[in-house]
Amino acid sequence: MKLTVRSDLCRGHGRCYDLAEDFLEDDDEGFVTARGQTLDVPADQVEDVRNAAASCPEGAITILED
Amino acid sequence: MTELSANEDLKATGRVPSGCPVIHLDASPPLEVGSHWQKANELREESPAFFNTHAQGYWVFTRYDEVREMYQHPEIFSSESITPWEPDPVYRFVPTQIDPPDHSKYRQLISRWFAPNAITRIAPEAHEIGRRLVADLAPAGECDFVTDFAMRLPTEIFLTIIGVPGSDADLMGPWVEDFFAGFGGDLAQQEAMGAALGGIRQYWVEVLEARRGESAPRDNDFVSLLLHSEIDDEPLDDALILDILTVLVLAGLDTTRGQLGYLFRHLAEHPDDRNRLLAEPELIPSAVEESLRLYTIIFGDGRKVAQDTDFHGCPLNKGDMVYGLVSGANRDPRVYDRPDEFVVDRKANNHLGFAGGPHRCLGAHLARMVMRVAVEEWLKVIPAFEVASEEPLMERGGGAMLTLLSLPLRWEVPA
Ligand code: HEM
Ligand code: SF4
Repeated sequence: MKLTVRSDLCRGHGRCYDLAEDFLEDDDEGFVTARGQTLDVPADQVEDVRNAAASCPEGAITILED
Repeated sequence: MTELSANEDLKATGRVPSGCPVIHLDASPPLEVGSHWQKANELREESPAFFNTHAQGYWVFTRYDEVREMYQHPEIFSSESITPWEPDPVYRFVPTQIDPPDHSKYRQLISRWFAPNAITRIAPEAHEIGRRLVADLAPAGECDFVTDFAMRLPTEIFLTIIGVPGSDADLMGPWVEDFFAGFGGDLAQQEAMGAALGGIRQYWVEVLEARRGESAPRDNDFVSLLLHSEIDDEPLDDALILDILTVLVLAGLDTTRGQLGYLFRHLAEHPDDRNRLLAEPELIPSAVEESLRLYTIIFGDGRKVAQDTDFHGCPLNKGDMVYGLVSGANRDPRVYDRPDEFVVDRKANNHLGFAGGPHRCLGAHLARMVMRVAVEEWLKVIPAFEVASEEPLMERGGGAMLTLLSLPLRWEVPA
């Protein structure tokens, strides 16, 4: 599974790095550092990442299933 | 009790050519707690959009997707006015009423100060403040939560972050109360409201004077940082700095107070959820998010149409006002399972309680921390409590932010 964070949509709500705290991180302004990137999601992070994506108020996170 | 649907309010009284139902809804009077959310639910299930003939008339969007779209498209929905019944306000709050692209210049001045890293830095102090306030109240066995605790806690924590004495909450708290008493439209309160605004501004004038002329910014001192900041290679003028500081006070304290009141009313009335948080404190953050979703204090949020647009069948003209019912969106069954229930461990929660798009609440990370501190420190000392009122609780009208006018709580004091 992969995750993409759209940089034009992310507004730094921080829901994602709160819910998937072992996988996602925030920068100095509160945006997720993965903004604008596509990352491979490790198997043990899949559940947290799904919750994170479903909890982003901007709909900025897309999950790409394998 | 006043009913929001008094007269023919809820009934569609006519149709504009678009096919949008027409309503007449004035949400400003105080009502019994819960009435605003119920009204939002009814409107949302009746139609995704209405034309409301209140004031000069404005469009109302009731569902999640439309409200989010409104927030995410400032090129169509400008923040020039965010109060739909007042399309041409004489004031201009910064950064609230600045549209992109200028908006980000102002926002960047402030956003780092309220980013999660910065908030985490002061968390230990915030917990200390919370512990002290709870310890002061606990022996009495009762309090009015919204005035005795819910206003005091965010105010002290906020002042501490800014870098001024937390004890100045003695001044700031009453000013904020007076301001919002008048802001909801109560004419008898206008004078006190003006005086309160004057008091808040003068407070910041003095803080500013005490820091002027210093060669380097003080550590952990927001006002000093602003004095050393620039926009377009120019230092900020005093009026702008005062404006920003005043907006922070008005945006940050009454809101957090309102949200805390609803959360603690819920905990007082739902021992099962309270006990769950006692047993699993790691659920406190998710309970805080759920209170932001279910007990949304932003009944609705306004924008001004910047270009003619057809929006889901509504013919919007430049200059029209629109009102996104955030409280309707956050209980939209198209998005949430069990939308009207408080699900303490809700997993997927993308609520719009802190808005969305470029104006996403800048204090969201702070507000969350304050609320977590409140629940944690309160439950440690007062694990069981109840609402001490036979009368139904009342909430302020939805013209400003919703808040309980009073929340009497009582608990057993160990002998
Ligand atoms: C639970 C408490 C809070 C809620 C529900 C809340 C809600 C909101 C909402 C809905 C907006 C968007 C308004 C709009 O664009 O029309 C907003 C903006 C804002 N909030 Fe909050 N807020 C809360 C606490 C705070 C705190 C504690 C602070 C800071 C001390 C704060 C500072 C701001 C600022 C500066 C803006 C304007 C942001 C911009 O225009 O870019 N808020 N808030
Ligand atoms: S929750 Fe969404 S908006 Fe917030 S930081 Fe994560 S991706 Fe960005």
